[in-house]
Formats: sequence, structure tokens, C-alpha cells
Amino acid sequence: MSDLWLPPEASLDQCIKCNICVSHCPVAQVTDLFPGPKYAGPQAQRFRHLGQPSPDASVDYCSGCRVCNEVCPNDVNIMEMNARARAALVAEQGMPLRNRLLGRNELMGKVGSYVPGLANFVLHHPVSRAAADAFLGIAKEAPLPRWSTSGTFIKWWEARYAQRLISDKKVVYFHGCATQYYEPFIGKAAVLVLEHMGYEVIIPPQNCCGLPMLSNGEFKAAGKLYDGNLRKLGPYAQQGYDIVGTSTSCTLTLKEEAPHLLDRHTPASQSLTGAVWDIFEWIREHEAELPRDFVPVDWVIPYHQPCQYRAHKVGSPAMDVLAMIPGITLHESHARCCGIAGTYGYKKEKYDIAMQIGQELFDFILDEAEHHHTEFNACDSETCRWQIEHGSGQDSRHPIEVLAAAYGLYHLNTRDILSSEDINTNGDSR
Amino acid sequence: MLDLLVIGAGLSGLLAGVAARQAGARVRVLATGAGATHWHAGTVDLLGYLPGKRAPVMQPFAAMPALFDARPRHPYALVGDARLRASLSWFSTLTASLGLAYEGAGSEDAALLLPSAAGAARPVYLAPRAQLAGDMRDERPYLIAGFHALRDFYPQLIAENLRKQGFNARAVFLPIESITGRSDFSPVHLAQALDAPEVVTRLAAALRPWVRPGQRVGLPAILGLERHQQTWAMLQALLDAPVFEIPTLPPSVPGLRLFNHLRQRVHLDLGMTVSDFAAENGRIEWVSSRSSARPVKHRARAYLLATGGILGGGFVSDASGHVWERIFDLPLTLPQQRSQWFHNDFLSPQGHPIFLGGVSAGADLRPVDANQRRIYENLWVAGNLLDGAASIAERSREGIAIATAYAAVQHWLEAL
Repeated sequence: MSDLWLPPEASLDQCIKCNICVSHCPVAQVTDLFPGPKYAGPQAQRFRHLGQPSPDASVDYCSGCRVCNEVCPNDVNIMEMNARARAALVAEQGMPLRNRLLGRNELMGKVGSYVPGLANFVLHHPVSRAAADAFLGIAKEAPLPRWSTSGTFIKWWEARYAQRLISDKKVVYFHGCATQYYEPFIGKAAVLVLEHMGYEVIIPPQNCCGLPMLSNGEFKAAGKLYDGNLRKLGPYAQQGYDIVGTSTSCTLTLKEEAPHLLDRHTPASQSLTGAVWDIFEWIREHEAELPRDFVPVDWVIPYHQPCQYRAHKVGSPAMDVLAMIPGITLHESHARCCGIAGTYGYKKEKYDIAMQIGQELFDFILDEAEHHHTEFNACDSETCRWQIEHGSGQDSRHPIEVLAAAYGLYHLNTRDILSSEDINTNGDSR
Repeated sequence: MLDLLVIGAGLSGLLAGVAARQAGARVRVLATGAGATHWHAGTVDLLGYLPGKRAPVMQPFAAMPALFDARPRHPYALVGDARLRASLSWFSTLTASLGLAYEGAGSEDAALLLPSAAGAARPVYLAPRAQLAGDMRDERPYLIAGFHALRDFYPQLIAENLRKQGFNARAVFLPIESITGRSDFSPVHLAQALDAPEVVTRLAAALRPWVRPGQRVGLPAILGLERHQQTWAMLQALLDAPVFEIPTLPPSVPGLRLFNHLRQRVHLDLGMTVSDFAAENGRIEWVSSRSSARPVKHRARAYLLATGGILGGGFVSDASGHVWERIFDLPLTLPQQRSQWFHNDFLSPQGHPIFLGGVSAGADLRPVDANQRRIYENLWVAGNLLDGAASIAERSREGIAIATAYAAVQHWLEAL
């Protein structure tokens, strides 16, 4: 980070119009509805002025995948320009109820978690999906998650609290909404690995990172969420604790996306940025503390690093760490994006675009399954995993599940943690 | 720890990464973004023009002594004749193995003359096979086909300029609907559309009525991206005529194909701008790149800098014209005042001073200072940041990239 903070729009003069971003943009490749990052971003930006109507509604078709930023040779903040232009449009013209709902995944998660069985039945029933499609515009085929029927992650954590590892080495865990309500097993795997590394895990109160609202241009509400996390997590950051997360788009939002898009550049927000890590970024940094007591495995795993993880600009930490497991072979996907882009692929008018974008990844996954008989693939982001499973029919796992399983602490098929008893009585924990 | 960290993802950086990987090294390529490969024609230009001369060089190896007389510090002189030849043959073998075969003019010391998007002759040493039939050393008549809707490609202009050079050349505009129903696209999107055989069939049907016996057919370089070889071969078969591609303005599809294929052979992280480093006892200890939260340190036994010159972003300047090397602040042999950057003659065959200078390196391609003393023990350099060549005017950009990337990796391996 440079010491001087400039708004993303200031980078538009760095654009040399080379069109590299247009060539790599997965959205512009499949639809005319989005003219490409260069046109919607630095070019249209010259026509956007405070107090004047926004000239270009096509920015709404930007999925926010950040591939443009990744390939830009001149460090132009293209995606940020698009996100802020979308927020200006929303402020001007309002937004559909559907986008408000999609932005409130935490509320949805919480409500459903009281009656998960019923919520799953209702949400996934073909009649309600058809109604949501017709009346709300939520694509009926899109891979909505299922609520955990075994309780929330925090419920598990509280039940286990007394048995947690106590240690001088401590780390804060940010679980995010998906782990809390839909996939508590991701959080369990993370806790097991962190404790296996000798760390005491601290899980303070926390709320949604705000990314779904940021992606839908609802900046004011997103700002409240960001400020909430700043209040709840900020004190840990200021005391020097590292805060690790398993949802790579949440950690990116806490680190960079929220403060950057919302103009939050206070010492407190800078301190939070400096404390937040994606879990594998953190494990890689603490490589020396990573135990090497792996169980024997023989895995070939296709791995897709999500666009949101690449946007951290930290290289490929999950690959770097998983590669240390003896007996593992990782095949790296070169696909740009799975298409879902958080809430984008759930929208009726964007579902087909998202599936077409994901095709190169689905093809890679299916090709791997056919030629290497892979049983599952790995990907760090929850919505990407849901999209991969939806598009390819192949099971997808978080790399932290893979690492936990490589220590014999976790069962990759059932997604259950293994107690020490399981391991003792059944030596084959794989 | 990595054996080698390459900084820069242009042709030289990618090739250095691949060469090191082939030698069994743990190697990674970091770059701010994609770059030079997307801007060039996808050909290998070795030596197109001698300094100050306006006639193209048709025997590049025979012309090397004259080049070295004028430019004694030229990267080709550093690399040496044997390694230069070896690097080109390595590149040919590599690209053939990637399914993207390059060919030359038939003998080792001969150049092709390929038509540019303005219909001018470009002296080229190696070209993707799909560009070869455009060779202006033979006299077959041309049909140049384009699309009204495709910006920056004007078949009439190309044909007219070919006629001025004595060729029989006609031009035709085809309906864009023969390829796509879309209303907006780039050459890359058209190339992606032409990966589908049914689209090739449609294009052939639109083109067929215009092709006369004995003609060769020139098209913008959009003949497929992933399935380029198949698309090109299929179109030739359907038309029963030689078909060739003319590289378009950026983004260049032939360059993008090369980038896509090379990155399959080496781990590349984009979006990573290297901005700091530490050195001790004449060795680089680490470099760090900017990230979303905090600098990321990268440690390697050796480093290879291939960030390009003033165009590639390896050199940066301030408003006064002061120029410096962005990462290691290596000494540069460049004019440090803006008024001295350029010749008055824009197309001067001497090349502009700002492109002529750069990082000085020893014969082993490690950077040296003004007194020819090595600066870091474990830093090598390759590509267009090197001093001593005016690669744009010389038309030697890719030749320098290939030769120096290959040679730098060889020298690094020899120093192990």
C-alpha cells in the first residue's frame, strides 16, 4: 500500500487503452450487455460527474470478479470504479427487492437457522423456486445453499468451548456467514488445523463483512456492517492479534474492498486491514509451525484459486501449503472465474452469463475427473464451490478441509470431524 | 524456497520461467499484469533494420557484424552467436511442442517479409505457421478480407498499399454475421467464436465466392484462440486456398495465444507488483510485492528481472524526464532529461535515445555498473530493459527477449 491514499477513480489516467482487460474479461466474452472493463471503467468514468445522471447502466453487468485488475499492466482500479459507479446508479435509481434480499445473506442465514429443516424444504421446493424466479428474479436453477441441520458453527464452538486448546499463541478466527449458517464444517476444520498448529482460537462476536451489499451497490448499509466489524474486531487488531478467515472474499472485503470502496481510511481501519489474513496466507507465513505429521494419502486434486483470492495479490498460498502434504498432486485450474461472483449468478437475468463464464472451469474439472479419476476438487470460496458442484456435478471442498483430512482430523466425504477415538479405533481415517 | 523468481510476464519473463522449469528448477513468475505479449504481432523479429538504414535486412546473421559495429553493447553481442542460434532453435522446439509451431523463411539466415495491418512489409524471422502464406517474397495475388464492424482493420488500405508495392491485391468486406451475431466485440472475442467449427464453416461460405484460383487469402488474426491450428487448417481446406493471418492492433490474438500457451508451462502470478527488496553482501535476500493488506515477501536463491523498459514499465520517470529502474534502482544508460529522449524525426531509423539505453549487463547477463562491476551476485536480467539496442527501430524485440531469456537462464545454471 502506498502511504498516500487516492480514490480508485484517480487511477483512470494510468489506463493506456490497451484492451488487455477486455480480452480477459469473462463477462464481456460471453455477452454484449457488458461492453468490457475498459469501456465501463476508465472510459465511462470521464463522463461521470457528481450531481449529474450516470451515463452508463451497463456497469450493473460487471460481476466484480476483478480479473481486469489482475491482468492490467498499469494498476488501474477498474473493478472499484465499476462498483462505485454501480452504487451511484443505485443511489440515483434505487434497487430491486431481490438485490436487497441477496445483500442480506446474514439475515436470511439467521432466520433459516432457527428452523433449518423447514427452511431447506421451503427454499428448495420447486414451487418456491419457481415463484422466486417469477416474482423476485432469483434464477430457479442457481445453486442456493442449504442450512446446516446440525446447528450453527457458533453453537458447535460454544459446546466445545471448554475443550478448546489453551495456548500462549492465539489467533482470531473470522468465520463469515456461510460457515456460520450453511457450512459449519468449514469452521470446524479451520479450528482443528489452527489448534493442531498449537494456536488457541479466539472467536469474537462478528457480523457479515458487507460484500454482498457492496456488490449490489448498497454502500450505506454495507458501511454499517463494516463499521460493526471494525468495532468488534478492531480491538483485537490493535492488540496485535492476527485475524484469519476461511471465506476468501470476506477477508478481502475486510482488508481492502470495504475501506477502499467506502472511503474508510482511518488508523483503525488501517489497523484492521493489517491484521486480516486469508487462512492459507496466514498458514504459509507460519510454515515453520505447521506440523508434518500427515497421514499417508494418495490424492490428485484439481484446484481452482477463486478470482477473489487472486485479488488478495498474495500468490497461491493454498497451493503452496497443500503442496507440502506428501502424496498429494495438485492440478491448477487456469480458469478465470466460476461465474457466480457472489450474488451475480443468482440473478435471473445473469444466470446464463454466469454459467457460460463458468464453463471453462467446469470443463477443466470434468476433464480432471475423467482422466485422473479425481473424487473431488478444491476451491477456497463457498459460492464458487456451490457453483462448481452445480456446473460440473463434482464435489468441491475447501483446502482447509483437505489439510484437516491430511492430518487425519477430518473426513472429506462426510465432512465430519474425526475425534481422536475414531482415529485410534479406525486407523484408516482417510 | 524458490530456486528462481522471475519478475515480469512479457515474452522474456515467461520464456525464462519456462527454461528454468525445464531445467528442473522451482521457479515462479510474478508480474503486475499481462503485457508485452498482448501488444506484439506474435512473430519473432530478429533483426529487421540496421541502424540508420531503411532497407530491410534479409540475412540477419550476415548483418550482425554491421549491427555490432554500430551498437557494440547490443544484447546479441553479449549473448554470442552460438547461444543466439541455440535460443532460436529452443524457441522453435518449445512452441512446436506447445502446438503453436513457428517457422522461418526456409534457411537459417533468411527473413520473411510479412504484410502488416497497413499493408507494409515487416521483416520477420519466425512466424506462427498461419502467417507464413502472406510472405511478400513470393508474387502470388492477394485477397484481403475484413469486416466493416471490426475496428482497426481496413482491407482496402492493405490491398492498396500492396498494389503500390507491385502486387495484385484485392479487398473485400465480409458481413460480421458470418462469425458472430454480437454487436460489440474485440479481435479476441472473434477468435474465440472461431474456435467453433460451425462458425469456420459459415466464414468459409461467406468468403468462398470472392476467392479466385491461385489467390492467397489474408484475414485479420482472429482464426481461433484455443483451437487455432484446427481453425486455420479447416478454413484452408474449405476454401482450397492458402490462408494467412495479419496481426491486428492490440490486443493481438497471436500474442495472446503465445501467452496462454507459455503460462501452461510455468507458474505465473499476475496482479503482483514487486516494489521493494533487501540485499546483503551483494546478494538479493528477498523482494516484496504489494498486496491487499501488507507487502508479501518472496525469497529465492536467484532473481531474474524482465520488467521491460520505459514501455513495459520496468523504467519509470518523473515529469522532468529523470528515469530510473523501478525495483532495484539499477544504473541506467539513458538520457535523464525529457528534451533528450526523442529524435526530431519520429520514424528515425536510428531509434529514439529513450529506447536505446537501459540496464548494462556483463557477458553473463548480470547487471553491472558504469565501471563494469557486478552489482548483485544473484540477479540476472533479460529482455528489453537491456542497454544497447533500439529494438523498435531495429525490429529485434522478440529476438532479444528469446536470446537473453535463454542465455540468462543458462548463465544462472552454470553459476550454480
